[in-house]
Amino acid sequence: MTQAVQLLIIGISLGGVYALMASGLTLIFGVMRIVNIAHAALMITAAYASYWAFRLYHIDPIVSILISMPTMFVLGMLIYKLFFQRIIDSPRIGELTVLLTFALALILEGILGYFYTNIYRSTNPSYATRAILFDPFYLPQGQFYATLMSLVLIALLWAFLQYTKTGYSIRATMQNRTAAQVVGVNVNRVSMIAFSIGTALAGASGSMMTFLFTFYPGKHWEWVAILLSLIVLGGMGSLLGALVGSIMLAIASAYVSFRLGPTWSPITFFLALFLILLFRPQGLFGHKAEF
Amino acid sequence: MALLELENVTAGYGHGPDILQDLSLTIEAGRSYCIIGPNGAGKSTLMRVICGLLHPRQGKVTYKGEVLNDMRTDEVLRRGISFVPQDRSLFPDMTVMENLRMGGFILSSRKDLHNRVEQVLQTFTILRERSSQRAKTLSGGEQQMLAIGRALVLNPEVIMLDEPSLGLAPKIARQIFEIVRQLKDLGMTVILVEQNARMGLESSDWGCVLDLGTNSFEGPADTVLNDPRIQELYLGKRRESRRESWK
Repeated sequence: MTQAVQLLIIGISLGGVYALMASGLTLIFGVMRIVNIAHAALMITAAYASYWAFRLYHIDPIVSILISMPTMFVLGMLIYKLFFQRIIDSPRIGELTVLLTFALALILEGILGYFYTNIYRSTNPSYATRAILFDPFYLPQGQFYATLMSLVLIALLWAFLQYTKTGYSIRATMQNRTAAQVVGVNVNRVSMIAFSIGTALAGASGSMMTFLFTFYPGKHWEWVAILLSLIVLGGMGSLLGALVGSIMLAIASAYVSFRLGPTWSPITFFLALFLILLFRPQGLFGHKAEF
Repeated sequence: MALLELENVTAGYGHGPDILQDLSLTIEAGRSYCIIGPNGAGKSTLMRVICGLLHPRQGKVTYKGEVLNDMRTDEVLRRGISFVPQDRSLFPDMTVMENLRMGGFILSSRKDLHNRVEQVLQTFTILRERSSQRAKTLSGGEQQMLAIGRALVLNPEVIMLDEPSLGLAPKIARQIFEIVRQLKDLGMTVILVEQNARMGLESSDWGCVLDLGTNSFEGPADTVLNDPRIQELYLGKRRESRRESWK
């Protein structure tokens, strides 16, 4: 029983971070109907920025979110304007953007690999190796802070979507792109904002990744597969789904890791992806396409 | 005087073929128009071109003398043209009230928005009763009323409705056509695309038959309704011979 509760604590505390990683991806999918294969590569890019900010200037990775988020927001805008703006209205946007974001991921990996090689990196702020003890349980401090920060950012995103005019326009575009256009939403602008916010969230996730996991340029392939399984489980385009799906799979992964060993942990995500596509392809909170 | 004018408009989607071919149409203020025609004739495309969802490849769309060709939908809306698409296009997970408020998205004054939504709720009392319900939980008729109500929030001069009776029971469809008649009585210019030719034409002043992307035939609604060629159109006679018969 104690072990089960401990695994639950570990799972939940990682699930929050997974949810932040997945929320950017699902927001972009919800608005633009594209799967951003480069999302994890953008996370790794931000992770390197935070890593060097920590190594060179001793800036705490959590504090460096203040730099990584706005920087990645601007990078997101540039990527959107350079690559997506011209094809956003194309009826083949889905196929085109899978190839485009795949290429973008390869480019980012190549650039990072050229400058930083494939050495495993991580930061070691003081809290990364400490734990909060409440006998007989423990909570890794790094995971706790990261999840807390993630939940704050997700709550801010939710409030932004729920209460601001731009948020309304993003939600409207997510629910029905044509209807949004018909009421006067500039869906091209909304798509750019959503892509930039999604990239900024990848930036925040990347900063926290530095003290939770090791990373190197090619690591993004593993991450993007995990993130896709998270958002497919939750329902693509659903923020609530991303949160619930992330926490569920993080708990399941922690349990598999404990029972069968860490090597088996990633299979949890892919097995879940397989099962959800088989039995409920719209995910837990996704919509069927009929409306 | 023409309020809205399409001159030799050609339009299509992506790199696909022309759906509208050299189409010309004049819309006069305060009249109601019913555009009929077989599937693929370009009726919905015509509306998408007018409201800025699709830009014409050739020709000119003018509203009160101003060219609309390259305008975005929000710019067309600001000039007083609203559009209710074929599938009602609501925001399924938003409430009725949120959907109506989205109808006034381009308004900058909250007070204006509040007043206009109130006016719509006075017209469609059922929507007030359902105001906190999600749009996807409404019946087909209520969804259509919401879609029309949302378009009316901006108090447009021209309202375009794409197949408002689609998928509705005959009794509900009649209610929708009654609303269409009321809109015209309120002084709006109504452009209606309808598969149900009889009901559509009975609710309109002017009829227009679109075929293969061109304006094949137009005239007063009762004349169009009683024209024997309309029967041919819906009986599926070969298009080539039909085109000849318009001449």
